[in-house]
Amino acid sequence: MSRSDDETEEQRAWRVLSEAGLVEIRLDEFAEKIGDVKRIVIVRLRELLDFNTGNKERESAAYSLGTLRGLELKVLANPPKPPDPSEM
Amino acid sequence: MKSTVKLRRSQANWPPEEGQIISFRSSSGSETTIFKEVRWGLVWRDFILQDGRVIPEHRISGCPQPQVWRKTNEVTDNEREECEERLLSMAEAGMDPRKRDQAFWAELNQYLAYTYLRFKQTGCEVEDTER
Repeated sequence: MSRSDDETEEQRAWRVLSEAGLVEIRLDEFAEKIGDVKRIVIVRLRELLDFNTGNKERESAAYSLGTLRGLELKVLANPPKPPDPSEM
Repeated sequence: MKSTVKLRRSQANWPPEEGQIISFRSSSGSETTIFKEVRWGLVWRDFILQDGRVIPEHRISGCPQPQVWRKTNEVTDNEREECEERLLSMAEAGMDPRKRDQAFWAELNQYLAYTYLRFKQTGCEVEDTER
């Protein structure tokens, strides 16, 4: 029996997000995590374009990608200050 | 001010009521403060404190397990688009997501978690059907 057989949907979501470091993002990792999420969206967008399906999903994925890019630019424009150990 | 929230609460009397004192994990350890309201984000619930800080439910003492999270397909297009607009506005206004427990930090965390789950899940399903 695989680990996922015993998991509820919420437990699976928690595990997936924890493994991706997205439950509570470290303060110095926002730009990196935005980049990780962007890559996931790009993979899906590519699938949708390749199969020429899911017009609505394609549109919302493209919009989300634009949002992530906008946020990434802003975060990158303000690099993190030297880490404060109490904030890590 | 009302009674302190006990460490373990049942689902029936959760979340606490406005004005109750709650304990939660902060970057400096355990803190106790006054709870104002609870709001659903795109994935989990956020607890708004009287001082304006936003704390995810899983950091509140006594939070029932397992937690209740939303499924990605429960989030409407409108809700997602409004969230995207708010995030871009906050970024344009020069807010910094690295301010822990503040509104931008909380909303960006949830948006990234939601977007990841939304597209990662789809990707897994595609992989599964290809086996």
